[in-house]
Amino acid sequence: MARLLRPYGWGFAAVVILQVIGAVAGLAPLLAVVELGRTLLSPGPVDHGHVWTVVTAGAAGLFVRLLFTAASSGIGHVLDGRVQLSFRRRLAAHLGRVPIGWFSHRRTGELAKVVGDDVSAVHPFIAHTPGELVSAFVVPLVSLIYLFGVDWRLTLVTLIPVVAAVALVPLMMTPSRLREQKQFDAAMGRIASSVVEFVQGIAVVKAFGGSGRAHRRFVTAVDDFVGVFLRMVRGIAGIGAGMQVALSPPFVLLVVLTGGAALITSGGLAPADLLPFLLLGLGLTAPVAALGHGFDETQAARRAVGRIRDVLGVPPLPEPAHPVVPRGHRVELRGVRFGYERVGREECEPARTPGPIELVDERRRREEHEDDHEVLRGIDLVLEPGTVTAIVGPSGSGKSTLAQLLPRFFDPTRGSVVLGGADLREIGSRELYRTVSFVFQDVRLLRASVADNIALAVPQAGRDDVVRAARLANIHDRILELPRGYETVIGEETGLSGGEAQRISLARALLADAPVLVLDEATSFADPQTEQAVRRALTTLGGDRTVLVIAHRPETVADADAVVVLKDGAIAEYGRPAELLARNGAFAAFWRSHRPAAADETGTPGGVRREEESR
Amino acid sequence: MIRMLLRVLGHEYARPVRRTVALMTMTAVAEGLSCALLVPVLRALFGSTPADAWPWLVAFGAAVAVYAVLRYRSDLSGFLVGTTLLRGMYHRLGDHLARLPVGWYDARRVGEVSVLAGQGVLQAMSVIAHLLAPFVSACVTPLTIVAVMIAFNWQLGLAALAAAPVVAAIQIWAGRSTAAADAERHDRDREAAGRVVEYLQAQPMLRVGGRTAERFRLLDDSLRGLQRAYRRTLLSALPGVVGLTLTVQAVFTVLLVLGAHLALGGSAGAAEVLSILVLAARCADPLLVLSDIAGKIRGARSELAGLDAVLRTEPLPEAPEPVRPVGRGLEFESVVFRHGRRTVIDGLSLSVPEGERLAVVGPSGAGKSTLLQLIARFYDVDAGVVRVGGADVRAIGTEVLMEQIAIVFQEVYLFDGTIEENVRLGRPDAGEAEVRAAAAAARLDEVIERLPGGWAANVGEGGALLSGGERQRVSIARALLKNAPIVLLDEVTSALDPVNEAAVHEGIERLMAGRTVVMVAHRMRTVRRADRIVFLDGGRIVEEGGHDELLRRGGRYADFWNVSMAPAASE
Repeated sequence: MARLLRPYGWGFAAVVILQVIGAVAGLAPLLAVVELGRTLLSPGPVDHGHVWTVVTAGAAGLFVRLLFTAASSGIGHVLDGRVQLSFRRRLAAHLGRVPIGWFSHRRTGELAKVVGDDVSAVHPFIAHTPGELVSAFVVPLVSLIYLFGVDWRLTLVTLIPVVAAVALVPLMMTPSRLREQKQFDAAMGRIASSVVEFVQGIAVVKAFGGSGRAHRRFVTAVDDFVGVFLRMVRGIAGIGAGMQVALSPPFVLLVVLTGGAALITSGGLAPADLLPFLLLGLGLTAPVAALGHGFDETQAARRAVGRIRDVLGVPPLPEPAHPVVPRGHRVELRGVRFGYERVGREECEPARTPGPIELVDERRRREEHEDDHEVLRGIDLVLEPGTVTAIVGPSGSGKSTLAQLLPRFFDPTRGSVVLGGADLREIGSRELYRTVSFVFQDVRLLRASVADNIALAVPQAGRDDVVRAARLANIHDRILELPRGYETVIGEETGLSGGEAQRISLARALLADAPVLVLDEATSFADPQTEQAVRRALTTLGGDRTVLVIAHRPETVADADAVVVLKDGAIAEYGRPAELLARNGAFAAFWRSHRPAAADETGTPGGVRREEESR
Repeated sequence: MIRMLLRVLGHEYARPVRRTVALMTMTAVAEGLSCALLVPVLRALFGSTPADAWPWLVAFGAAVAVYAVLRYRSDLSGFLVGTTLLRGMYHRLGDHLARLPVGWYDARRVGEVSVLAGQGVLQAMSVIAHLLAPFVSACVTPLTIVAVMIAFNWQLGLAALAAAPVVAAIQIWAGRSTAAADAERHDRDREAAGRVVEYLQAQPMLRVGGRTAERFRLLDDSLRGLQRAYRRTLLSALPGVVGLTLTVQAVFTVLLVLGAHLALGGSAGAAEVLSILVLAARCADPLLVLSDIAGKIRGARSELAGLDAVLRTEPLPEAPEPVRPVGRGLEFESVVFRHGRRTVIDGLSLSVPEGERLAVVGPSGAGKSTLLQLIARFYDVDAGVVRVGGADVRAIGTEVLMEQIAIVFQEVYLFDGTIEENVRLGRPDAGEAEVRAAAAAARLDEVIERLPGGWAANVGEGGALLSGGERQRVSIARALLKNAPIVLLDEVTSALDPVNEAAVHEGIERLMAGRTVVMVAHRMRTVRRADRIVFLDGGRIVEEGGHDELLRRGGRYADFWNVSMAPAASE
């Protein structure tokens, strides 16, 4: 945090100095009233000239105060804007480097809240606290020195309200109060994430919603929040009101007047000397009151900073100190083992966003995960350039995990993934992503133009290249039907069906033209056009590329050069499709499970299929 | 502001809000009046018999006590009413969001609504709990004090009073001049929030594209836009703040000069002038706070305006006298549906008799999924009628309509919770055995066996901790459990890996048995289960008939399958 703020050191210094000068100058008009009082109340003729000098000095002090505090506040806020931007950029950069697996344990809503609301909540720390805090000390200090000079007894009396208010502060910081604060934040976070969920799952809410029970999670989160909030309020309201009353002008005046009356009637104080206590006494409490006003905000800011720090504290996937450039694009997996729960334990821990109650849940959940076996256990596999390797296997066998090791979404817990002779961990991320491209099953399109979506990895690509990739991915004609063709903004001007989104993503990978392609064959949105596009891409791409495809369809498998059958995180069979079929093992079983489907279709003009099988 | 709050919330909250405001006003008046006692006290102390001050001091003490009690009561009341409003607002928002048509929710709305429901509601409601009391006190207390001043010395009092219209004018003017900048900042805020959510959710894809942080221009632009908007808000607020300070200080200077003049001229007592100056010094500070508070209230107001806009978005109208559907047949009569400028369904007529299985086939974007959504009334048609059991879907109560229909979506969304909770969503009152049976039929039982925690395993946000196939099985189990007479399937089995596909087909078969089924299909195997097939393109039915019949006809349908069967090499 300090490192993030260092570049702004001079700015903060300016804010503080200007604020202090302004605040001290603000004492001038008050002292002018005091001096006026002394002159008016002094026996004998009044010195007119002196009165007017005093009045002029007071007015000048006011003007200086206006000038300097305005400048301080202006600089502070401009600084605040810059700091917020740099925090957000830093957070975004960091989140772009933490292991992908970390995200599946986090809720998007909570993380988005850190980048958005929490950074905004730091505002009082940056824009208000430095100046206000310093002037809250300096002004009372100057006043106190002056008042002690006038009369030490009444000075002590004047301090009574401040002491009373300060005495109440610890009551607001008791462990149970702090716990309530944390619960408050956790409850707030739950509302944010249940809203994201609620809105994203709205179709499900509608289909099953009926009496509104499907959004009960949202309602529960709200009621929890209200409960926590009420408890907090009941605890704090009395103390808060007490502090406010103690610092309020009537109470301060009452205390000073009582003390003053006692001293004056006993003859220990000149009546005119009461004035500075009335005027500066109010000034003594004002900064404390200002701190009290900002107390909630400051507390919120502190907690927000904590959450920001937690996110920044998540260890990113380490970048190599001396990046190696891969030679060629032969991919080798050597004794690769991988278990998600290690990621869960080591990397989820620092981000302690949830409150204590939720933490217990979280821990229990993690403990449950611990007896979870490894997802990949000892994979040795070579992907040769110029070949297509298909992975098949039941769901949960580790296919997706294996594929995700290539673009280094995770690092293997043991063993290594080697690309062109270099361990992935030794290759700089930019170089890696130039080499490896990935088509996801779970397609995300950006709210940006179709062309930008396709050219994601190659922003400098010309329109011709984008169109060529779109044609190859079988989506060009559909794009031309959109309101503004390639300039249509997805999600704003148009929505695309799942199959269409898949083809955009395929076009994206085709344009990226990386020598290593990992393709998670679409299952859920596959329509014939998309399937055809995928297969065409696989054959046209071919050439010298290293292709790994998670296959769901026998057609794709049949086209592959090699097949890996994955079972419970280990390779059950490996070889050419025809060989494996002959071996009559797991792959043959997979193939046969498709037979009924294919047999259904023998009556169709799918004679090709038989041809394929006889390869 | 309060009026808007009450409109957004509904007027049942009007009374407690008014009571709170009244209480706060009384507190502020009490504060001002108790200060007024300063004048007689000082007059006595500066006079020849200081001991005369004691009775006044006792009165002062009593006034402060009254003020303290009022303060506590009004603070507490503010918090309680604020909390009640908060809860009411959240509930209203939740109920309303559930009633808005699915079409309203596009990608941008997720970010928007989450900001609104999170920070927005809280900020709007904090007006009552945190800002209202200081605001009322900053307005009312100085006015009370000015009234007291007038009573003691009309010249000084009137001079102070002259500040009131100027302060009010500056407040109003500042409010207007910042409104535009505030609105822009809120837009930027929402935009950035949407981008952050997008950035987080698209992480895998962005990394492969080599686009993280600064290199992801869309996010960085929105963050910089936010900073620029923030700076503009500051600039627009500056004249108001400086103007207010200047006015307050000018008035104080005038009082100082006038007081000195009057005292020197002998037309006012020194004690009066001095105590009025003490009171004036006291007035200045809360007035300066005013601009700060007013700024915050303006912020809250624009959040409130956002909430108001969402709450005023029309949900699909509910029929005043709902009709019950009779039978399970479905019918489309000359249905037209547009999404934006695009006509998705274009004058389509179709009838599905009770118990029929209809397959809908066609290229992407032909309107297949929309057809299903119109049956479930996720949208209302632009022309024509969709009927379920002979009744217009718009005339059937939403709950009754939903009871008729079980849907398995193309995109499966699971709620963050256990598998059991997600399955039970189908029918919350289902017995243990029924839930288990549905899970077994959807082949979910083997997934559950494998997962640590079994039934109690958490699925993560959106089901992120399950694979695509596993998610799809949960949603099938959910539909099986619901046991509704009409089943809508949106290419269900495609997400299952082939090894289990055949087994799940049994579950689907059970789900379809004896029910009216409309299924969107991409795979021939699914299509062949249908009694009848419609081929959709451009929102119209192009061909219609049995599978073999359509193949023989050699039209679009036959072409469609030829494409999908052809080997890639031959293209």
